[in-house]
Amino acid sequence: MLTDRLCSLRQRARTSAARLTLGAFFLSLALGAPLPATSCAEPGESLHTGIIPTMGLNEVTEGTLMFRTDQAGRYTPAPILKTDVHIAVTGTIARATVRQEFTNPSRKKGDWLEGVYVFPLPETAAVDHLRMKIGERIIEGRIKERAEAKKVYDQAKREGKRTGLIEQERPNLFTTSVANIGPGEHVTIELEYQETVRYENEQFQLRFPMAVGPRYIPGVPVVVEGQGPQGSGISPDTDRVPDASRITPPVHPSGDGAINPLSLSLSLNPGFPLAKVESPFHPIISLQDQDGGYQISLREDAVPADRDFQLIWHPAPRTEPMATVFTEQKDGATYAMLMLVPPTQHREKAARVPRDITFIIDRSGSMAGASIEQAKGSLTAALSRLTTQDRFNIIQFNHAIRSLFSTPQPVTTKAMQQAIRYTEQLTADGGTEIIPALRQALKSPQDGSRLQQIILITDGQVGNEEELFELLHQRIGSRRLFTIGIGSTPNSHLMRKAAESGRGAFTYIGNVNEVKEKLDGLFKKLEHPVLNNITIDAAGWSGLEQFPSTITDLYEGEPIVLALKADSLPSRALLQGQVGSAAWSLSVSFNPSTAHGGLSVYWARQKISALMDETYKGNAQEAIRKAILDVALTHHLVSPYTSLVAVDITPARPTDSPAGEGDQTTNLARAQNLTALANLPRTATGGQLQILLGAAALTSACLLWTFRRAVA
Amino acid sequence: MSRSRLGSRLLTILMAGLLAIGCWQVGEGSWIYAKARLAQFLLQRAWSRALAGEAMPKPWPWADTWPVARLRMQHPSVDLIVLAGAYGRTLAFGPGHVTSSALPGQEGTVILTGHRDTHFRFLKNVKLNGHLALTGSDGTTLHYRVIEQRVMDSRREAISTGQDTEDLVLVTCFPFDAIQAGGPLRYVVRAERTMDRDHS
Repeated sequence: MLTDRLCSLRQRARTSAARLTLGAFFLSLALGAPLPATSCAEPGESLHTGIIPTMGLNEVTEGTLMFRTDQAGRYTPAPILKTDVHIAVTGTIARATVRQEFTNPSRKKGDWLEGVYVFPLPETAAVDHLRMKIGERIIEGRIKERAEAKKVYDQAKREGKRTGLIEQERPNLFTTSVANIGPGEHVTIELEYQETVRYENEQFQLRFPMAVGPRYIPGVPVVVEGQGPQGSGISPDTDRVPDASRITPPVHPSGDGAINPLSLSLSLNPGFPLAKVESPFHPIISLQDQDGGYQISLREDAVPADRDFQLIWHPAPRTEPMATVFTEQKDGATYAMLMLVPPTQHREKAARVPRDITFIIDRSGSMAGASIEQAKGSLTAALSRLTTQDRFNIIQFNHAIRSLFSTPQPVTTKAMQQAIRYTEQLTADGGTEIIPALRQALKSPQDGSRLQQIILITDGQVGNEEELFELLHQRIGSRRLFTIGIGSTPNSHLMRKAAESGRGAFTYIGNVNEVKEKLDGLFKKLEHPVLNNITIDAAGWSGLEQFPSTITDLYEGEPIVLALKADSLPSRALLQGQVGSAAWSLSVSFNPSTAHGGLSVYWARQKISALMDETYKGNAQEAIRKAILDVALTHHLVSPYTSLVAVDITPARPTDSPAGEGDQTTNLARAQNLTALANLPRTATGGQLQILLGAAALTSACLLWTFRRAVA
Repeated sequence: MSRSRLGSRLLTILMAGLLAIGCWQVGEGSWIYAKARLAQFLLQRAWSRALAGEAMPKPWPWADTWPVARLRMQHPSVDLIVLAGAYGRTLAFGPGHVTSSALPGQEGTVILTGHRDTHFRFLKNVKLNGHLALTGSDGTTLHYRVIEQRVMDSRREAISTGQDTEDLVLVTCFPFDAIQAGGPLRYVVRAERTMDRDHS
């Protein structure tokens, strides 16, 4: 009806009609119709050249030597002749030695290729040894003091030498450039790294990267730097390549059919009895030796490296915590790793210890946006896990503090309703005064018969760190503090240290989608502490250095790992603690039966991180720097004050080699710190869009006004 | 007649609605720009307190940020007070210093972020070898020379902040004239520390 009316109106006022259409267009804009695509688009995919597709460093899924192509940022993988890997797992640390052989497949004289070696490291891994053999040259990674390393680097740079091209495209990608490689020359790269084994869903996991990617297949050509796409005569694709005259035949004609053969061996010393060891993608042979270790190798001598190797081991079911010790003798000192492993099954009959939980939630301005939403989500998830024997309280703070109850209250339907309503109403605004809130939480009376847990949810933008640690130190008592870091840039250091002072743990949640998964893990943990107040009786140990210095509680599903160093270790030591309110003790044997590698490195890393924490406390910088340098240089570790530098240690340089001078030193991983761009805030306002939409709405209003007058 | 009156009433309501939406949106949009400009004046005072040695001088009592540096450039003419913390809240008032990066004068890379349509709009006109000056809260001015300008994809790439470099990295959204906020691209300007000490 109205439409009819409008139609007739439109006929009567044609000029207005045109304007109306325009108005409607603006109106649709104003009502939030999708805007025409802005130029925020992704950069276009690079073209593939040749038959072997070129790849970016980001696409590397296993240790690869890559040749530069004429396209910036695109590389051709070098043919890999073989890979030997040995991994030694001791407790929760894995030490991998990788040896790879590559070749420059070109036979044409003068075809010197420039290579980049890329190895995707597991998240917690760091390379500490590197040795490259390029034809006659030997290049070795040496740990040097940062200033010295930089001097070497700068000098090489001044002299116009190709210094280390470190293109760290993403974290944990080890990259080093491997100067010029002559035609037919072989490159051998040996790399050692140490990582922490992943523990998830009650199983331990180790992964070695050897996944599918664009790779060398005998009989298929390689793109050579600076010359664009080239093809090989064998491949049927060559007729597509116009420049067939400059064919580069491959070095290895396919013989046995094995492509990129890889051999892998592994010695596994988990430190506890296993239910089973499995490798989901590769058939393995696993032999158990007398002291509980396993020797594992691939069933075939050399397998095609076409998928990641993964090893999973499951602890055998146990109902008691157990302790295991590994030792290593090095340079006159004894290093040990003491692992305290929780039982795999909690005793159902064991009564759940009632808990007092105090949630402290930060609602300051810096939490605005996704952070506060994450925090609220976490809080709601946590509330839903409480039981009627527990007591709880919620404290919220910005520049002022407010709490739901004055002291923790029993969980009842009414209290729960109140709490949920309270949580939903939280909005982020104002300053961050964390200390009064914490003080309020620490006011509640201590009660030895209950687990008293404080859960602090914040982005940790706190000024006065010292006062915070001081407060925790004095007042925490038997309580435990768990910190949950939220948002794009939480002050992780502060929160980790605070949790450490409060004998709890720090959990970082950077992504809204991770909230549930991570917190479920944390809350499950909090419900089932296995052992509290653990101490180690260290009487009679000379020169003992232990990290971490205070032992946290033992929770289900997560072993406690202690790194120890002493002049000599006693044969036995006593661990003491509490199960619920009952005393518990365990005698541990320190017999140095078999030697294990990597323990000193592990200890040194722990020591460096403990020393680094000292600097945050504002202690004498210079003394700490010296101490860290000392540890890092002794144990060959990359640290804030040391770098790994590649030094050419070739005994005699071949005189006729044009690349001989090419690369005397390459700077390797300069302890790269990276700030992921994704963690930075958005840097555009909606102001422009709002003004535009507003203007559109106003214009439409004007048009309607004229239209109405025309009609009237 | 009643039909036409109904129609005209509807039109009036629609018009009033559009007027209200228009004013609201224009007002809110302009407020963003006004705030960005006005705040810088207020920040000047807090900055002089910072220079006088006050730790964390809050520009207004309920603020959860404070000035940490002053960024200046001659061509194009820029004078900005940099705030602590790079959050949506602080960026409305001034460029933000990324807490995990170094502060001016410390060892390591300094990372600053700013809105591409307010404070960091000037990055569009910054040229290679352009000269930037950054004053820390201790009053010393460091000089930088622009060595790299590039567009990065925030979903994949990262900024290297090695402790042995003393670079200054400025980050803003890209493209500069996109209407919608929130694209994945970032415009990253890297400037290298030049050795000349303060001579201003």
